[in-house]
Amino acid sequence: MASSENNAVPPAAAAQPLKLFGSWASSYTHRVQLALRLKGLEFEYAEEDLGSKSEELLRCNPVYKKVPVLVHAGRALPESVVILQYLDDAWPETRPLLPADAFDRATARFWCHFADDKLGPAVGAVFASTGEGQEAAVRQVHENLALIEAELRDGAFKGRRFFGGDEVGLLDVVLGCGSYWLAVFEEVTGVRLVDADAFPLFHAWLRAFEALDEVRDTIPAVDRLLDYARGVRHMLLSAGAAAASAPAAADAPTAARRLTSPSTYDKMAGPAAGQGRPAGDLQ
Amino acid sequence: MAGAAKSGHQLQLLDFWVSPFGQRCRIALDEKGLPYEYLEQDLANKSELLLRSNPVHKKIPVLLHAGRPVCESLIILHYLDEAFPSSAPLLPAGDAYARAQARFWADYVDKKVYECGTRLWKLKGEPQAQAVAEMLDILRTLDGALGDGREFFGGAAFGLADVALAPFTSWFHAYERFGGFSVEEECPRLAAWAKRCAQRPSVAKNVTPPEKVYDFICGLKKRFGIE
Repeated sequence: MASSENNAVPPAAAAQPLKLFGSWASSYTHRVQLALRLKGLEFEYAEEDLGSKSEELLRCNPVYKKVPVLVHAGRALPESVVILQYLDDAWPETRPLLPADAFDRATARFWCHFADDKLGPAVGAVFASTGEGQEAAVRQVHENLALIEAELRDGAFKGRRFFGGDEVGLLDVVLGCGSYWLAVFEEVTGVRLVDADAFPLFHAWLRAFEALDEVRDTIPAVDRLLDYARGVRHMLLSAGAAAASAPAAADAPTAARRLTSPSTYDKMAGPAAGQGRPAGDLQ
Repeated sequence: MAGAAKSGHQLQLLDFWVSPFGQRCRIALDEKGLPYEYLEQDLANKSELLLRSNPVHKKIPVLLHAGRPVCESLIILHYLDEAFPSSAPLLPAGDAYARAQARFWADYVDKKVYECGTRLWKLKGEPQAQAVAEMLDILRTLDGALGDGREFFGGAAFGLADVALAPFTSWFHAYERFGGFSVEEECPRLAAWAKRCAQRPSVAKNVTPPEKVYDFICGLKKRFGIE
């Protein structure tokens, strides 16, 4: 197993400040904020208006033009999962997000990819649809959650409090910073996504995750999230009605993903979405 | 299985001959000098072993190490680096930022190339033109990432990002033919990089010749009833 001590930045660089470009409602941003807090790393936070992105952000992430971007020692790092692994590599003396064992690391990475590639878009599709389309999307979410529940019950994460073990790890951060939307979407759409009876272990994990101090410091207040979600839902359904008469997208999941990425939320919800309280004030 | 005893490391790869994702793993295994048993899978009639090894996605490639499955090509590449640390590394040791960059570009290839390429050969008319435009953008972005004077994405050493993209160089020819463009003209640095990769024994041995990829795609189009 490769020692992460070999991958650190030089001490002078490690001491250099961290700056995070993010968006208050972006779960990808929350992942990085949470990871930094878990590792006890100080950082400056810059809230981006996703409807009107700063020159600095576009310079730091020319490929995707998205948040989050972490800037450290003059270098920009986009993509949340890349950033999280960088934090482990660059600060090996802090609590690690990835487990030590190579096979366990592969397992954590697999489910992180599943969260981003399958579960996330499925939840987004529920939020972006109504009627039969939504029912199909809900079934998809339930299938995905059932797979995770099975791993908690009998599989890779059996008997664990968190996916990372006794303490949260990479998968907790990735899955957790996103799962808080489940309750919000349930409230806004009136659809049941995480039934405590159907997914008792996932439910218990989510409650334990949300109770952590660092998580409570990171996730925005639920009424802010609800307001935001209601606005986006309204926009999506109006746009959906218009899009229904347009040529079908080659790939429905991609269309749903495009509709439900945080940057699109803000574009569609208008200037009001990105505004509000300053960065540090999450409550 | 007699094959498993061949390799002291007990490595097996469940794969499909033309899969660029599987080829990434084959390239990595060869770069690292790790012997393994190649097990060709019938994707129309999936084996018990494949279904048991990747029950979530039921896809190849799957690496089996002493019978334990590791799924998804980029995850397999990381696993090989971490489980066999004395072998030639795909990620540079001692440089957290370089590792992050390698992961970024490998992930970019994963997110962009295959999906856009599929639309490019599958669709017609306006959606195809859209896919061609996107593919050119992707290739130019990769060309830009290489920059001038860099042999490989990470510099002098052939690494994670190179392994992630190398199998797709065979698919460039098909994209060119269906899309009506030339990678050499549009992205000379990328074309030069592709030639350098092709000279490596691990790539030459494991990547499907471009004409065969083109024929394979034509076969798929026929099967899907696409003109």
